[in-house]
Amino acid sequence: MGLPETAGLDLAGLRAPLREALAQRLLALADDELILAHRNSEWCGHAPILEEDIAFANIAQDELGHAGLWYALLQQLDGSDPDRLVFFRPAEAFRHVRMVELPNGDWAFSMLRQFLFDSYEMLHLQHLAGGAFAPLAQAAAKAHREEIYHLRHTRAWVQRLGLGTAESRRRMQAALDALWPHARQLFRASGSDSLLVEAHIMPSLARLHDAWLEEVVPLLTSSGLNVPQDESRAVQDGREAHTEHLAALLEELQSVARMDPDAVW
Amino acid sequence: MMAPTMPAEYGQWKRYEVFQQAREDAPFANVGSVHAPDPEIAMQNARDVFVRRPQTHSLWVAPANAILSRTAQEVEAMSWPETALPDDGVGEQDGDTFYVFRKTTQRRAMTFVTQAGEVVAPSAMAALQRAVQRFGAEGPTYVWWIVPAEAIFASRPEDAASMFEPAHDKDYRMPTQYRTQTMMRELEEHDGSA
Repeated sequence: MGLPETAGLDLAGLRAPLREALAQRLLALADDELILAHRNSEWCGHAPILEEDIAFANIAQDELGHAGLWYALLQQLDGSDPDRLVFFRPAEAFRHVRMVELPNGDWAFSMLRQFLFDSYEMLHLQHLAGGAFAPLAQAAAKAHREEIYHLRHTRAWVQRLGLGTAESRRRMQAALDALWPHARQLFRASGSDSLLVEAHIMPSLARLHDAWLEEVVPLLTSSGLNVPQDESRAVQDGREAHTEHLAALLEELQSVARMDPDAVW
Repeated sequence: MMAPTMPAEYGQWKRYEVFQQAREDAPFANVGSVHAPDPEIAMQNARDVFVRRPQTHSLWVAPANAILSRTAQEVEAMSWPETALPDDGVGEQDGDTFYVFRKTTQRRAMTFVTQAGEVVAPSAMAALQRAVQRFGAEGPTYVWWIVPAEAIFASRPEDAASMFEPAHDKDYRMPTQYRTQTMMRELEEHDGSA
């Protein structure tokens, strides 16, 4: 991807509407990673085998690190404190997609969710890394390196579970049927995203969706899975709509911080 | 819980020994083992378990059952088959390449075998015999490992950036970096004086 003409925008160069649009997008990026990391961390001690326990904990930690990158950028932009955002924000103010807050289900569900998300994140980061807003581009380049590894791991497991036993295939297909409509929400632009696309700060999510389909559909198909065709089931809601599962997740995530808001660690 | 009817091969994945090379010119050293259904997953598991901290230049994994392992006592008691007697160690015999690993110290509990070199031999046993002859004089060897080169699955140089580089950016905090102990002491002192 060639560098756009406006490359090299820094914080001072951002006009007010662009600044606001970027803040919204950064919150969405950060919340996706945070909530997915939390769900993945729930596998710690419960994965089917010790090595996968460690692998998923590693991935969770990496995604949490990526969330940290986006929250830190947001802080530069509007002064918001990452710890306040994570530990004291009410459920309705979170802006992640529903897919990441759904309960872990079985190993197939968690693995496939991570694969679908990694594939999206990988493509997204590639574009962000070539984007016009330098601090965002640099953070994306850093996160991208870890995503290569996540994707290699989750892709390998999608193939093995899809082509494994009748039971592993059945579980993978059930996971795909459940997750596929939700995945669409990753590519739903919010109102102000178009400003960021015009400014070459972020890619068009519609075009990202096409690129994503080109990546994931052949892999899923060659892994013996049937990609759902019913477009009418695709989740079209915005990122402010959440399921009943978020409240319980946040109760756990925020419990210690809320117990003693002045605690230092 | 495992179903009683489950075939035995589903019950446990294969064990792979993991060898880590810290720098380009350093010998590979065994760092432990992982379980995995195949070499590709073994490599990924090896990375996740053993490369959380720098520094790694390259990784090898090899199925544990492909490795010939003998202690010094076992080697001592061995009667070598006449036919496999090594030559003078100068010319190479016909055969396959085997990597030779030695455990050379008992000082630390967590010391594993380290790569000494390679030999070419018609069998693993012949390779061991040749290895003892070639490397035995370099000092005490407590354990010998003979690893067939063809059993090794190596990390690819082009994957090094995604597999090994991110560890450099991760903080490793010693327990003392957390103020827990200090705070506990302060609390105790406070309680004592009250």
